[in-house]
Amino acid sequence: MDEECDYLFKAVLIGDSGVGKSNMLSRFAKDEFRLDSKPTIGVEFAYRNIRVKDKLIKAQIWDTAGQERFRAITSSYYRGALGALLVYDITRRSSYESVGRWLVELREFGGEDMVVILVGNKCDLGESREVEEEEGKEFAETEGLCFMETSALKNLNVEQVFLQMITKILEITSQRSLEAKMDEKPINLLNGKEIHVADDDDEVTATKQAPCCY
Amino acid sequence: MEKKRIDDYEPGPVPSPRGLDRFGFVKQDANTSEGGVKTNRSAHEYERIKEGRRVRKWRKMIGVGGSDWKHYLRRKPYVVKRRIRKGIPDCLRGLVWQLISGSRDLLLMNPGVYEQLVIYETSASELDIIRDISRTFPSHVFFQQRHGPGQRSLYNVLKAYSVFDRDVGYVQGMGFLAGLLLLYMSEEDAFWLLVALLKGAVHAPMEGLYLTGLPLVQQYLFQFERLITKRLEELKEEYEKKNGKLSRSGEHSKQSILPSINSN
Repeated sequence: MDEECDYLFKAVLIGDSGVGKSNMLSRFAKDEFRLDSKPTIGVEFAYRNIRVKDKLIKAQIWDTAGQERFRAITSSYYRGALGALLVYDITRRSSYESVGRWLVELREFGGEDMVVILVGNKCDLGESREVEEEEGKEFAETEGLCFMETSALKNLNVEQVFLQMITKILEITSQRSLEAKMDEKPINLLNGKEIHVADDDDEVTATKQAPCCY
Repeated sequence: MEKKRIDDYEPGPVPSPRGLDRFGFVKQDANTSEGGVKTNRSAHEYERIKEGRRVRKWRKMIGVGGSDWKHYLRRKPYVVKRRIRKGIPDCLRGLVWQLISGSRDLLLMNPGVYEQLVIYETSASELDIIRDISRTFPSHVFFQQRHGPGQRSLYNVLKAYSVFDRDVGYVQGMGFLAGLLLLYMSEEDAFWLLVALLKGAVHAPMEGLYLTGLPLVQQYLFQFERLITKRLEELKEEYEKKNGKLSRSGEHSKQSILPSINSN
């Protein structure tokens, strides 16, 4: 099975405690949902092989504990991750207000061109909504993120949000390998070349991230 | 806060309601008899007799209400160690855990403290605790009922601890520890046992598992990784192969122990 995959993509699920990260993952990976799922302690992960265009992709999704205290260990999982679902609960405003802090964390520990999707979960609970869809969408736009509302309970948009993330990662990755081929040079040489571009240091780190996905 | 002395009543065979295992968890597969594996009758009987013999030995060792424990421990520490490794009889765990950990002494030295913490103090972690209460052992008969005695006790113990030790506060995962203790003893006993474990009344403190930065977790992960590298070179290589040579797999392998903590 493993050998048949064209790519291995690693992604993380982050966001405050109790917003539904674990249930989003179990919905995606096993099509299961549990109202009484345990709080995640530390980190867990799940795989799913998924076909996008003509490529078979092994999506390795890391589910992290939401509580602040665990960031001491969870943040190291961002490294090498090509995508992130930043989840909040539309019925709990405080979880939305934490999104900014999560972004800071992602930008500090994650790769430069990580695909980040802002996800407003529990959209089935419209009657107790505390964050309007428009608000989430606008915030995502200003931060340059994709946006989607989901319901892991009703299985709304869960498949789509993962698929969107994986597709975007695939686009970036194919673009990268194309560029590398065009240059006909190994990646590390490419880096060496870019160092000459004085005011573009960020680009160098971005290219370094690319090999992680093979 | 109900007071119940665990060492006063005889265990006896607990009538097991249909669908629960002997620890009180709802069986995953309720329709298969005895959870699928039916051991033969004589083996079962043999286990029961052995358990009974073990209980009698333990009772003699600890004395009434634990009165002989310290004496015995001083005289024959190796016997105690051997017996613990064979397994503490289920019906005596509540009492024995309190004796081993030194929590019984803490309880006696601090009368009224627990009540004070539960009734009069407020904690910054109250909302966090409440959010996790219904997610802690949801398939156990004691914790199943929303706002039932199990959930209330669990909340009280966790809140009391978060006030008692504000540096540690409440950390996710503590509920499973406190919840397990509550299956074997009263709220107040469970609280002091939690204190004894985390603060280290007799043994090394465990609070590093929960303190900011999780220092003890980091230490264990480091040790785990070194042990794997040293003793199980092949496993390490296999792991790296399976994970498609992720560039920093060394770091992942040491941390992937965490998922196992969370699996029941």
